[in-house]
Amino acid sequence: MKLSWSKYELSKSYDEYITPKRTVRGHLRKIGNFFESLSFNDLQELDSATKSAIKSMGINFRVYSDEGSEERTWPLDFIPRIIKKSEWNIVEKGLKQRTKALNYFIEDCYNEQSFLNSGFINKSLITKSKYFLKFCKGTKLPNKSWAHISGSDLIKDINGDFHVLEDNLRVPSGVSYMLENRYVMKRVFPDLFSHYGVSKIDEYPTKLYECLLDASFSKLKNPEIVLLTPGIYNSAYYEHSYLAQQMGIDLVEGSDLIVKKNIVYKKTIEGLQKVDVIYRRIDDDYLDPEVGNPFSVIGVKGLIRAWKSKNVSIVNAPGCGIADDKAVYSFVPEMINFYLKEEPILPNIKTFMLSNKEERDYVFENIKQMVTKPVAESGGYGISIGKNLNEKEILKLKKLLMKDPKNYVAQPLIDLSTSPTFRRDSLFPRHLDLRPFILSGKQTYVTVGGLTRVALKRGSTVVNSSQGGGSKDTWIVDA
Amino acid sequence: MLSRSAKHLYWLARYVERAENIARMIDVNLELILDFPDDHSLNWKPLIDTLDINDLFESKYKKYNENNVLNFLFEDKKNLSSLNNCLEMSKYNIETIKDDLPKTANISLNHLYDHILGQKISKVHQRKKLQHITNIVSMTQNFFGAINDNLSRGYEFEFIRLGRFVERTDMISRIIDCLCISKGSKQTHDFSTMEWISMLSTLSAQDAFRKESKGEANRGEVITFLLKNDSFPRSVFRSLITIEACLENLPKNTRLLQMINRIINISERSKLYNFDDRRLHLFLDNLQKNVSKIDSKIHTTYF
Repeated sequence: MKLSWSKYELSKSYDEYITPKRTVRGHLRKIGNFFESLSFNDLQELDSATKSAIKSMGINFRVYSDEGSEERTWPLDFIPRIIKKSEWNIVEKGLKQRTKALNYFIEDCYNEQSFLNSGFINKSLITKSKYFLKFCKGTKLPNKSWAHISGSDLIKDINGDFHVLEDNLRVPSGVSYMLENRYVMKRVFPDLFSHYGVSKIDEYPTKLYECLLDASFSKLKNPEIVLLTPGIYNSAYYEHSYLAQQMGIDLVEGSDLIVKKNIVYKKTIEGLQKVDVIYRRIDDDYLDPEVGNPFSVIGVKGLIRAWKSKNVSIVNAPGCGIADDKAVYSFVPEMINFYLKEEPILPNIKTFMLSNKEERDYVFENIKQMVTKPVAESGGYGISIGKNLNEKEILKLKKLLMKDPKNYVAQPLIDLSTSPTFRRDSLFPRHLDLRPFILSGKQTYVTVGGLTRVALKRGSTVVNSSQGGGSKDTWIVDA
Repeated sequence: MLSRSAKHLYWLARYVERAENIARMIDVNLELILDFPDDHSLNWKPLIDTLDINDLFESKYKKYNENNVLNFLFEDKKNLSSLNNCLEMSKYNIETIKDDLPKTANISLNHLYDHILGQKISKVHQRKKLQHITNIVSMTQNFFGAINDNLSRGYEFEFIRLGRFVERTDMISRIIDCLCISKGSKQTHDFSTMEWISMLSTLSAQDAFRKESKGEANRGEVITFLLKNDSFPRSVFRSLITIEACLENLPKNTRLLQMINRIINISERSKLYNFDDRRLHLFLDNLQKNVSKIDSKIHTTYF
C-alpha cells in the first residue's frame, strides 16, 4: 500500500505540508510527491535506517527524574520540516534585529540604564531580578555582545506566520542536534539533498569559533579558547563534547582552570597556560564560588575577578540572563524602536503581566484560552495550559498566580502549526516549533533554519526532548 | 594537552594492564593445579602475596582456597586490585576521554566490561572457568591492539603507553618476587622446572625464552630472562626502556629521564644469575620503590 495525502488526517491547525483541501502546498509539491511514491513498508525502512544511524553514532541526551538520570537515544523524525528561502530571509533579518536590540538592552541595563529610565518598563522588574548581577555594573563588552550565543523559539500560528515565543540568552542548547540531524538525514536520503536545493548548515562550528574570537579582550591573533562544561552528568554533555571537538578546542571542567592574579590558566602537561576566552555551559550562579553559589564545585574561584579585569572573556557574559525573562520579552518591540529606530520584523505574542490588575483580570476571565508561565524558567517547566485544566485545577492555578503575580505572565494559547510526522506505520500531523541559533560577534549570524522540535503525542504542544518531544531536520529550500 | 586528560589516559592504561596481569596470574594458577591435582603445596596464597593484600584477605576469609581467592580477586569491593574494581576504575577514567580514543578501542573495552562485570566468577561453571579467564587477557590485548593500530602518535598515545609499562614493570617484579621468595623459602630453593615454566607462561614468555636459551628452564636462566632480556616486551628491562622512550616524547622530561636512566643502569649492571633469594628480593623491592618514585614524579610533573 502506498501513502496517499488524500487520506492524511487533517489538522485543525496550520499544516505546513497539506492545505485544508488536502493538496500539497505549492513549494512542497516535489517532496510531497516523493513521499506519495513510497509504500508503508518504505516508510518503516526509512524509520529504522534513521534510528540505526543515530544509534551507531551514539547521539544521545540525558534525562533526569526522581530515580536519577539516564541516557536516551536522540529522537529524530525523518520527515523534514521545510521552509521557503524567501520566507526564511525575513525571519533571519528579524532575528538579527531582535538579538541586536537585546544585546544593546543588556549593556544599557548595566551602564546608563536609558531604556529603564524612559518609562517603558517598571525599572524594578530589572534591578530587583535575581538575574541582575550587581558586579556587572559599569562593564562594557566588545561589540556590545553579552548574549553571544542565543536561541529564540519560533512558532507558526494558524495563518502560517512566524512569531517569537521566547528568547533563550543564557546557555541555550540544541545546536549539535541540529547539525547531527542533518548528518543523519544525508545518510538516509542521499538522493534528496541535491535534488531539492537544501541550504547547507555545516558552517556553524566555524562561525561559532569566529564569534568566540570576536569576544576576546586580548589582541592576540590566536587567543586560547576553551569550552567549560559542568561534566559528564550534565544533560547537554554530548553537545559540549561535540562542539569542542568540532572547533578543536579543549573541553575543560572547573577543576582544569585556575585563577592567579586575576588571570585564568588551564592546567596542561606542559604547565599553566593562559586562557583568553571561555565558552561556558554553566549557569551564572555556579561560575565562581566567590560571587555566586559558594558551594559550587563546577565553577572556578576568582573567574569573575578575572573577567572584571578584562583578562578573560566569558561567553555568554555573566548577567545576560536579565534579558532572558518572559516579562522582559514583552518589551522587545519597544527595545527595537528605542535602540535601532526600526519597526520589529518578527512579531511577539501578546503577553499579559499578571502584576497589572487590569491585565490579570482579563487573563482570569479568559483563563481557558491562556497559557501561564513563570517568568524565569526554561525547558518548559512550570507552564500551565488553561484548556487542559478542570475547575479545581483552575482555582489552584489562580491561587498560585495571586501569591506572586510578578513572577508570572500569560499569553493566549497559540495553535501551533503541524507537519506530517511518522508514527507507527504512517504519517500524522504533529505540532512543531523552531529554535534557530544566533551568534553575535563583529557580525550577527543566524543558523540556516535551526532545530525543529516536534511534540510526538497527538494534540500535544510540549516539544521538549526531556518531556517526550522529538526533532526534525529543517530544510531551507529555494522555491 | 590538559593535565586531567593525561591523568585519565595514564590511569586507564594502568588499570587495564593490571586487570590483564591479575587474570594472567589466576590463569596460570588454575592450569598448574590441573597438572598437580593432589599437591597441596600449590595453594592459592601466592596470588594474594604477590599483590601484598594478605591483611585485607584474612579480615574476610580464613582459608586461601580457590573459591575464596577467586571471589576476592574478581569481585571484592574492598580489594582495590580486584578485577571488578580495576574495570570500574578504568570505566571512570575513560568517561571524559572517550572521544580522544579510537572507536574500536572503546568497543573492545565495552566487551570486556560486559564479560566481567556482568557475571560473578562463582557462577561460572568449573569447566568454563579457564576459558573465562583466558578471554579477559585476549580482550585487554584487543584494547591495546586497537590503540596501537588506530591512535595517532602523540601525547595521548604516550600517556597510555607510559601507564601501561609502569604498571607492567611493577606487576612483573611482583610476580617474580612472590614466586621466588615466598615459595622458595618454604621449599628451600628447590623449584621444579614445571614451576619455572609456569612463571614464564604467566607472562606469555615461554616461546621467547625457549628461543633465547635452548637449555632447561632453571632459576638463573628464567630470572635473568624476565628481568634483563632486552627484546621480549614483557621483561622488566624492555619495559623500562619503553618507559624511557615514552618520556623522551614528553615535555619537561629532564628529571624523569635521569631517574629512569638510573634504574636502567642498575638493572644492566646487576649480576642476577647468581643472586640468592635475599639479594633478589632486595633487588626487586628496590625496583618497585624506584618505579613508584617515577610514578609520583609523573604525577607532580604532568598532572
